Amino acid sequence: MNDRQHFSQKPRRNAEFIKPPNMLKTKVGSGGLSDDILNKAENLLENNTVDFQPLAEMYLAGLMKGIDLAKESDPNDDQEYVISRMLYPGMQLKANGGMFHYPLVTRIADKLIQFLEVIERVDIEVVEIVMAFHTTIRAVVMGRVSGDGGKHGTELMRALNEACVRYFDKYQGKSL
Amino acid sequence: MSYQFQNITVLIVEDNQPMLELARALMTAFGVKNVMGAKHGEEGFKKFCEHNPDIIIADWMMKPMDGISLAHRIRNDPASPNKFVPFVLMTGFSEKRRVMQARDAGVTEFLVKPFTARDLYRRLYQIIERPRQFVRSEDFFGPDRRRKGAAGYQGHLRRNTDVQPDDYYVNVDSDKRI
Repeated sequence: MNDRQHFSQKPRRNAEFIKPPNMLKTKVGSGGLSDDILNKAENLLENNTVDFQPLAEMYLAGLMKGIDLAKESDPNDDQEYVISRMLYPGMQLKANGGMFHYPLVTRIADKLIQFLEVIERVDIEVVEIVMAFHTTIRAVVMGRVSGDGGKHGTELMRALNEACVRYFDKYQGKSL
Repeated sequence: MSYQFQNITVLIVEDNQPMLELARALMTAFGVKNVMGAKHGEEGFKKFCEHNPDIIIADWMMKPMDGISLAHRIRNDPASPNKFVPFVLMTGFSEKRRVMQARDAGVTEFLVKPFTARDLYRRLYQIIERPRQFVRSEDFFGPDRRRKGAAGYQGHLRRNTDVQPDDYYVNVDSDKRI
């Protein structure tokens, strides 16, 4: 298609473009925030004293309910719903772990989300893999492993990743 | 001279109380004096209608109304006092289809958890300095979803409203003070 044809096409649908007044800019002015303010805000985040354990236990309990639902489900059930019941608590673990000094929880839960976002159906092997994630995250939280877990953390990640890769190699011919 | 954040009101909608307090503390550290909180989308919409805040920062997963539904309602409900209000969605999701889902609901900026103070500030900077125009079509009302796309384009600009990519994109990561 040449330019003449391109610009002569009938619009696919009508759209109105609106530029609202930038009231926010009018109120806050210019200049951004200084490094000093931003560093203070970063320190506030890094030094927050929130105990992540009760939150994590709540999300882990939610994940376990999702696993139980997956165990009892049959192939005719709405698979997206069944997967979402494991995915949503997993997402909460990923989101909040790193906010409250558990970056290893975030890394593990992120891998769980990657797995759950790709699968299309639930079977016993999916349940076993998600269960392994649950057990690992629980061990990290109960052991108060608040850093990256060092060498042990890397080994845990590798083992979980390999479980996912084996699943995809076996059933879907693709890896995470 | 720096941003006068004491002149604005921010509404944070988050069902996780520690996270709500953390986000509130960050906004206070930025200089915002008036930070309101709500525990879910329904309460958030009520407070939005009552106080008409300048920015909304909301979590995705909440009950009975989640952040996506809240964004959609703010953009489309006749009772909404400001359908153009900047809406930052916080979530653990980062997959492309989730970002597109949020975008289609009328979210202005997407903030992936866990985030740093600077991550949050960059979203605020974007909505202050580079606000999106809005689009109204048969099936959508919200911020223009096409902010991205021109980077690397080498050809002629065809419209008066086209913006040079170099002017449009700022590498906020490389700036000490943005």
